Amino acid sequence: MNSEDIKSTIKTFILTEYLPGEDPAALTDTTPLMTTGILDSIAVLKVVTFLENQFGIVIQPHEAVVENLNTLSDIERFIVSKKA
Amino acid sequence: MTTVVPAVEQAVPRLSASYLSRSAQFLAILVQFALIVVAIDRWQLEGQLLVRLMWLALAGFVMHHFLPRRFRLPFFAMLSLLAVITGVGHLGPNVGGAWLTGKITTSGLLYYLVPGLAVIGIGLGLIGICHLPIRFGARVGLVAVAGAGLAFLRAHSQWFPDVTEMWVVLGSMFMFRLLVYLYDLRHQTAPFSLSRAISYFFLLPNVCFPLFPVVDYKTFCSTYYNEDWPRVYQTGLKWMFRGIFQLLLYRTVYEYAPLDVSKLTSALDAAGFMLGMFLLYLRVSGTFHLIVGLLHMFGFNLPETHHRYYLATSFTDFWRRINIYWKDFVMKLFFYPTHFKLRKMGTFWAMSVATIVTFLATWLLHSWQWFWIRGKPLFDWKDFSFWMILAVLVLVTAIYETTRGRRRALTPSRFTVRARLMFGLQASVVFCGMCILWAYWSCQSWAEFQSLMDAACKPTWREIAIIFVVLALVCLCGMLWGQSSRETSEGRGTQASGAPFHFWRSTVAVTVGSICLLAGPSMATWTLPATKDLIARLHGDVLNARDLALQRRGYYEELDLSRMDDWRCHDAKEPEGWNAGRKLFYRERSDFLMKEIVPSVSTVLGGAPVTSNRLGMRDREYQKLKPPNTYRIVLFGVSHDVGTGVKDDQTYENLVEDRLNRHCPDTHYARYEILNMSTGADCVLQMLLRLEQIGFDLHPDAAMISVGAVDQQFLVEYLRKCLTRGIDPPRSYRKFLDGIAKEAGVNGRMPDAAIERRLFRHVPEIHEWAFRRFAQQCTQRGIHPLVIYRPAPMDFGGVEPACRSETVRLARAAGLEVIDLSPAFDSVADRNRLIVAKWDEHTSALGHRLLADKLYEGLVPLLFPASSIQQVSRLQKP
Repeated sequence: MNSEDIKSTIKTFILTEYLPGEDPAALTDTTPLMTTGILDSIAVLKVVTFLENQFGIVIQPHEAVVENLNTLSDIERFIVSKKA
Repeated sequence: MTTVVPAVEQAVPRLSASYLSRSAQFLAILVQFALIVVAIDRWQLEGQLLVRLMWLALAGFVMHHFLPRRFRLPFFAMLSLLAVITGVGHLGPNVGGAWLTGKITTSGLLYYLVPGLAVIGIGLGLIGICHLPIRFGARVGLVAVAGAGLAFLRAHSQWFPDVTEMWVVLGSMFMFRLLVYLYDLRHQTAPFSLSRAISYFFLLPNVCFPLFPVVDYKTFCSTYYNEDWPRVYQTGLKWMFRGIFQLLLYRTVYEYAPLDVSKLTSALDAAGFMLGMFLLYLRVSGTFHLIVGLLHMFGFNLPETHHRYYLATSFTDFWRRINIYWKDFVMKLFFYPTHFKLRKMGTFWAMSVATIVTFLATWLLHSWQWFWIRGKPLFDWKDFSFWMILAVLVLVTAIYETTRGRRRALTPSRFTVRARLMFGLQASVVFCGMCILWAYWSCQSWAEFQSLMDAACKPTWREIAIIFVVLALVCLCGMLWGQSSRETSEGRGTQASGAPFHFWRSTVAVTVGSICLLAGPSMATWTLPATKDLIARLHGDVLNARDLALQRRGYYEELDLSRMDDWRCHDAKEPEGWNAGRKLFYRERSDFLMKEIVPSVSTVLGGAPVTSNRLGMRDREYQKLKPPNTYRIVLFGVSHDVGTGVKDDQTYENLVEDRLNRHCPDTHYARYEILNMSTGADCVLQMLLRLEQIGFDLHPDAAMISVGAVDQQFLVEYLRKCLTRGIDPPRSYRKFLDGIAKEAGVNGRMPDAAIERRLFRHVPEIHEWAFRRFAQQCTQRGIHPLVIYRPAPMDFGGVEPACRSETVRLARAAGLEVIDLSPAFDSVADRNRLIVAKWDEHTSALGHRLLADKLYEGLVPLLFPASSIQQVSRLQKP
């Protein structure tokens, strides 16, 4: 799975779960998710579970932070680093 | 035709324009910062220590800004240490000046330095343990042992009387931040260095604010100058201004909201109490704004605190907004670790257990905070139940949001009017719920909360309409500003969130606002003289009447150290033997008088010798039978009139008597006597009965009843005692008092607070009845009745004017003459001179002298009018 596929998978999940009805084009790779409240602390837990199940990684509590999960690019980079 | 300008020549004007623009921005920032410091100074916000710190910060800010970037953090660390040394040791310019001029010795100066140096030494020791080259677990263990040792010493702070004040500051700096620091050290989420550690733990404003936001170490490092400096500084200034505004708003609420449960008489009062209690939190949010704003001035672009928390649209939203620093702290250390450990149980159970664990930790950590600040642990069922109720509310909302989804949008414009209306309605429901919950947390006992509910349970339609209007206003504000896009304090970046920033617009707003704060009071008192009292009260940071009377407040209010001095004064233990004679001097009675002075006793009351005469009065010896050619006055009052705290010959009553005998205002009389029949804590009913049962037998020519603001409280307490002890009133009083009890719906089996609260609304009615009876009884016997209004030496909370006007009105309505002594103390600027001691608020000898002057001035024309006319006519002769 390449970077674009990872981002696309996550984007679809976020649009379906948290932003139903939103224009997919409005959610870009750099749209802030945590700092703008789209992903609140409870939503982050759901995203973490999704990422673990989808990409076969294990995420630690201290990794569920804004540096890793704030944008689609951040999440993609985080997953790539975890898989590496 | 175009001119080709060489690139270098184009760059020079561009550079100089940019330089000028940056200089203008810095100058504007400096002016605003100075205005804010002056405003804090002028309004005396949070005490003198903050004022000194703000001046230090202003000077430090200028130097810090012009330093090369690599020197800025070490400079901030040094400045913070300087603030600790000067702040904890109360080392002001006066001490430094005294040392320089040789007024105090070097060892004397060191005495001031010791507490601050102790904080720094212990702090550096704790930081050192965190970085020991041993296993991380061992370091945590050592920190825990050191923490336990320090907590033990904190609990026995009396062992080190010279450094008592350091514990609060030390605790405030390390009790929570050490946990965050260790967590980030464990996971290496941020860079570590000595200057970073010192800056983080000894944060500049911390020395003034024991209640301090739990700044996240990683955020602290990652936000340091993460945006252009004008934006960082200007944001800080804006938040500091907001903080000042909130603190002034807090003072208004504190002074004017009905915060005394015992005095609530209607559902509207109860609603006002709940609202007032919730609004008192403005003090915390105001100080947090000041703190975070000040840190911005040194490049720490920390997240906004307390973001429109009164407009939260759900309980989870409230939890996120009210103190995002705390929320992130407990999420990081408790919620996520618990949830991640338990997630195999399923989201519902993991979230439920993690939420309960988080709120339990919040409760325990609040007790921990209380311990460090107040020196005693706080394990109270009320605090526990408050946090658990909030936990359940947050959990239910979180589960609802997880299952049903929370409305989210990529842009605010996506929200329709209907969605906004929902925001508004939710905001008003949450606001209402939090007002009730906060009032529950702030009430001192279950009985007090019951009393509050009792007052609230029978609203009139008018009251319901007023409450509805208030909630509609909250709804409207919620519609306009309720939507919040903020979730976390981590990685804040206004550029990232796409918010536009207008430097000059913000500059104008802060500058104009600060100037208004500075010039406003003078302008307001000039144009509207009636606002003088309001502004004077907002200028002082004193306890209101309720708090001084009851010494009780909510969690955050009682942690307020800046007013600890007031508390210390009030709590200050009186010296041994100060009131040693109280039990000897007074004795209880089983009848409606309830107590009396024991005849012929010499003892000590209020630190002063006190003697009672054969007739059971704190006075000179008199014959029961009035001697011939004597004008006799009987005086009834409370402990102020007894003269508690002053010598026998210093009471205002004796001073007036001496003066009458010296000047002999009426030639018909050779001698004047004032018999002081005052008894401590007597209410107007006891005074009246004392006159009827004892005073009339002394054949007085005049009778004076002395009433003050405190009489209202004495009256309801007295009637409550009569009810609960089953003491029957005299026959002639019974019908009236039974009627009052029936109308108030009180009986002896009810909680004390409920009886007093219900009776409070009948105080004017009882006063009116008592005054009328006093007038009637005296007139029937040919005695001249008089009412004295005696001011309290200190008007805490400004209750005096209202009480005075009400008492005077009722007395005059009963046909009585009133001598208003209120202006007696006007000439004394320092009211502390009017009280006996800081632990005893009875009127001092100076106060008695002033009262005597005023009373003599008012008494002679009323009792001896002919003499006054003679005096006037003598004055008019050439």
